[in-house]
Amino acid sequence: MKDKLEALLDQALSELAQASTEEGVQELRVKYLGKKGELTSVMKGLGAFTPEERPVIGQVVNTVKGKLEEAFEVRGGEIREVVKSARLSAERIDVTLPGRRRSLGSKHPITLVTEEITSIFGALGFAVAEGPEIELDFYNFEALNLPKDHPARDMQDTFYFGESVLLRTHTSPVQIRTMLKQPPPVRIIAPGTVYRCDSDATHSPMFHQVEGLMVDKGITFGDLKGILTLFISQLFGSDIGVRLRPSFFPFTEPSAEVDIACVICRGKGCRVCKETGWLEILGAGMVDPEVYRHVGYDSELYTGFAFGMGIERIAMLKYGIADMRLLFENDLRFLKQF
Amino acid sequence: MIVTYNWLKEFVDCDLPAAELSHLLTMLGLEVERMEELGGGMDDVVVAQVLEKNQHPNADKLSLCKVDNGKEILNVVCGAQNFKAGDKVALAQIGATLPGDFKIKRSKIRGEESCGMLCSEKELALSLESAGIMILPEAFKLGTPLFDALGTKDTVFEIGLTPNRADCLSVVGIAREIAAKLGKKVHYPGLEVAETGAPIDTIAKVTIEAPELCPRYTARHITGCTLAPSPAWLANRLQAAGIRSINNVVDVTNYVLLEYGHPLHAFDFTLVAGGKIVVAAAGEGEKFVTLDGQERILTASDLTIRDGEKGVALAGIMGGGNSEIGEGTTEVLLESAYFNPSAIRKTSKRLGIHTESSHRFERGTDVAGLTRALNRAAQLIAELSGGKIAKGIIDVYLHPVEPRVIKARLARINAVSGLSLSAAEVQDILERLEFEVKQPEPGVFQVRVPLFRVDLEREIDLVEEVVRLNGFEKVPATLPQASVFSDLPSDFQRLAARVKDLLVSQGLSEVINYSFVAPASCEKILLSADDVRSNGMVLLNPISDELSVMRTTMLPGLLDTAVKNISFRTLNLRIFEMRRIYLPAPGKELPEEPLYVSALLTGSRDLEGWNQKKGEIDFFDVKGIAENILADLSIPNVSFSAESLDPYYHPGKACRILCGNKVLGSLGELHPTVQENYGIGTPLYYLELNFEALLASRKGKGAAQVPSRFPSTFRDIAMLLPKELPVADVLYCVKGVKAPELEGVEVFDVYTGGNISAAEKSVAIRVRYGSKERTLTDDEVTRLHQRVTDALTKKLNVSFR
Repeated sequence: MKDKLEALLDQALSELAQASTEEGVQELRVKYLGKKGELTSVMKGLGAFTPEERPVIGQVVNTVKGKLEEAFEVRGGEIREVVKSARLSAERIDVTLPGRRRSLGSKHPITLVTEEITSIFGALGFAVAEGPEIELDFYNFEALNLPKDHPARDMQDTFYFGESVLLRTHTSPVQIRTMLKQPPPVRIIAPGTVYRCDSDATHSPMFHQVEGLMVDKGITFGDLKGILTLFISQLFGSDIGVRLRPSFFPFTEPSAEVDIACVICRGKGCRVCKETGWLEILGAGMVDPEVYRHVGYDSELYTGFAFGMGIERIAMLKYGIADMRLLFENDLRFLKQF
Repeated sequence: MIVTYNWLKEFVDCDLPAAELSHLLTMLGLEVERMEELGGGMDDVVVAQVLEKNQHPNADKLSLCKVDNGKEILNVVCGAQNFKAGDKVALAQIGATLPGDFKIKRSKIRGEESCGMLCSEKELALSLESAGIMILPEAFKLGTPLFDALGTKDTVFEIGLTPNRADCLSVVGIAREIAAKLGKKVHYPGLEVAETGAPIDTIAKVTIEAPELCPRYTARHITGCTLAPSPAWLANRLQAAGIRSINNVVDVTNYVLLEYGHPLHAFDFTLVAGGKIVVAAAGEGEKFVTLDGQERILTASDLTIRDGEKGVALAGIMGGGNSEIGEGTTEVLLESAYFNPSAIRKTSKRLGIHTESSHRFERGTDVAGLTRALNRAAQLIAELSGGKIAKGIIDVYLHPVEPRVIKARLARINAVSGLSLSAAEVQDILERLEFEVKQPEPGVFQVRVPLFRVDLEREIDLVEEVVRLNGFEKVPATLPQASVFSDLPSDFQRLAARVKDLLVSQGLSEVINYSFVAPASCEKILLSADDVRSNGMVLLNPISDELSVMRTTMLPGLLDTAVKNISFRTLNLRIFEMRRIYLPAPGKELPEEPLYVSALLTGSRDLEGWNQKKGEIDFFDVKGIAENILADLSIPNVSFSAESLDPYYHPGKACRILCGNKVLGSLGELHPTVQENYGIGTPLYYLELNFEALLASRKGKGAAQVPSRFPSTFRDIAMLLPKELPVADVLYCVKGVKAPELEGVEVFDVYTGGNISAAEKSVAIRVRYGSKERTLTDDEVTRLHQRVTDALTKKLNVSFR
């Protein structure tokens, strides 16, 4: 009996080795282990043995059955693996074809730079203020110590709507509006659009500035230097050289132009910096007492500083744009890069 | 202002390398915008000696010379005859480049080798004309570069002056700054005028009729002048400063103008009728020909210099053709006067004449320095033209001006600057600027400011002078010890940035158009002439007609941008602009400037690719963009109305966006006529939102909602509706069923045509039910759903499919 069972096992195993499909394995399982299977019929014949023989035979039967079941399981797994790997290789795609993309938008570089500047000054406690673009002569000039016929008005070619209504030539009138509205201390920046009637490769009739103003007790020119140095290191990196040199604005005194080491040549001298190694990026100074007089602040009690910078210039330096006109041509092939 | 280093050195001892001087000037606020070496690149022109001068064997007019350059003996062929063996000459060696990019090469001239060229002054640009080659002084050392030997090697500095620094519109002024910075004194040359002529009062008489416009007028008279070209040194310096050399009299006036900053004028005195000078206002409408040949029409506010009969100069701006120095001039009246800056400015601006002279008078000249400039010029003219200077000077000075005395406090200087200077340091700085300084009490300075510093009036002006001369680099960089306060960015800024982000995330790119548009743009977008937007603010002095009106709507700018991009074959556009528009506000000083966010879309919805489905953008794309913004900003009670549309919209495919009764904006397809007007081939979709109205309509988001932990159940309803019935009514009706378990409703299909009658449409909605406490049973959902279908039947009389 035992020999018969082992012969049956050998036969089943050799047939199983021949099977190449899951269905084939299933058929063999039915053939040997099914209700009418060969092993089952052997087991049905157990009753013919003596009670003493039965456990011995039964144990042999169970061993064979266990081996068979395991072999079916293993063979089935092998076949499934083969089938799966055949399917996977049939499903292979060309991964070099382009992906399916959503169209992405972009912010204008002017907006990006404005937001960056605003956030740097925001962290330094400067709030954002705004003012109208169509402005009165008083706010744009008069209160900023630029009376009519002042030669400094020549520095700014102004668009007019009438005798006293104009397009603001700088964001500085926001200083005046802010100080007329609130008593010191003041700590604001004012980003905005400004206009001058000038149009060529380096001038646009419309451009953007950010103005800054801080007025309090005990504010010094040294503080102006400190704040601007900090700002520039945030914007251009902490290793960039900064220098202040004397200049003139009617609404500040002392006044300074602020230069950074040329970001193109790192101060060695190149075409962009006209061989000087420096790039002018903003104008600044201590608020002139005459301005305080116009807004009713006590210039003996309060001191402060103001500064202004051109956003286009900073955007051009940051993004390596040589021609300012590109910023206003609105060519999406250009704008999509930002 | 252009100066040369050698000229500066006549007034101040300075041996800094040019680059360092340039930095010093820039850091004093006199920004050097250009620096140029004169005689640079001419080191191959050297001092040489002629050893032999022989006749050229093959040419009568040429000589063959042996020349010693200190190192070797060279053969040189020369065409000039004005020299002899033993003379020292200027030799341009092989490799030298002369002015005019003339390169010296080894050559054969009529069969004889020539290793260089003997140069004339003209060839070296040292003078305009020359008769032969340059004969150099015996003392010059062989082999020395010529410009080193001549001492004419020089550096030109072009300085961009700020308008306050009138005092630096001169060589002396800039020398004064250098001296102050270096702690040196300016050498003012002694001016002794050899007065060999008759007494001036017997020759000329000056009367000032307008003393408020001309407080001081001085003059000298020179006779027996011979006009001639100026010597090279004079012509060269003028040329370096960009002024053309004319003759030895006119050139001197320009030279002294550059040197002392004081404009002078020379009259041909024989053309001044009656020997009389009268300073007086012009007659209203008077015609006057200035020396550039132009006829000017004057007004009574223009100041003129007149003689006994007529105007002879436009005071401080330009002389007249009728008294100009020219061929045959022998007798010169030299004027040095002070004119009122704003009067000069008005006339010069009105007539559009800007001269070296008017530039300085407008900014303010040194009323105390008139005679110094006058004497310097008279001396030079006499020297160069051989003239005799009349005895004495005319000086009409009715109300002498006293220098200002300004009080400055040490404490204030340190408080504004952040420096810690001592009284002695401040006193030193101020004295170096040639100010007279007294300290009537400790820490208080009384500063007498010379009249050449027209820019200094107040204490703060002196604070600046101290900080400037001390050096901005010495100011410590500190952070303000300010009161503790901080404003977070306002909602306005934060939400404006948020709206831009929302648009960018939906595939739109930001553009920035000019705020001014063409007058025809409103007509092109079909606005009627009486629409308030057709009457934008008009610039008096626009760049061009196309940019002459302030925009009243964002649409034309976006359309122009679309046209431009389409012309570059960017056919699928999704652009937005968030900027102000400018609406005239009658009765107010200034217009309103609301901030608008506007978008324009056309072309295909998705990027074009091998596996993307192709769909054209339509109304619902642009509406979806608007809905996302409205939802993100938590705008409540939003509705869309197809009534009262702007004329630029397609009347059937557009709507206004409302919050309650308030209009927030509008969106839709643009009118086909607008599309035609701009020559665009594909339908255009536009969205505009008034950002300030959006902000005003926001409601707070409230506490965050916790989502249910139990699954929701969906039930669909398909129904037939009258075609005209807005689907919004269906949704409104469903939401009107007040049950907390009703979580939401969405439209998932709309269908017309096919087996649906022409008067109807089929609409399918999906209603979502759920509870936060438990999973709803099928019975509960069925009961809720029954309430929804009952409401639809009762209120809208729909039939279910």
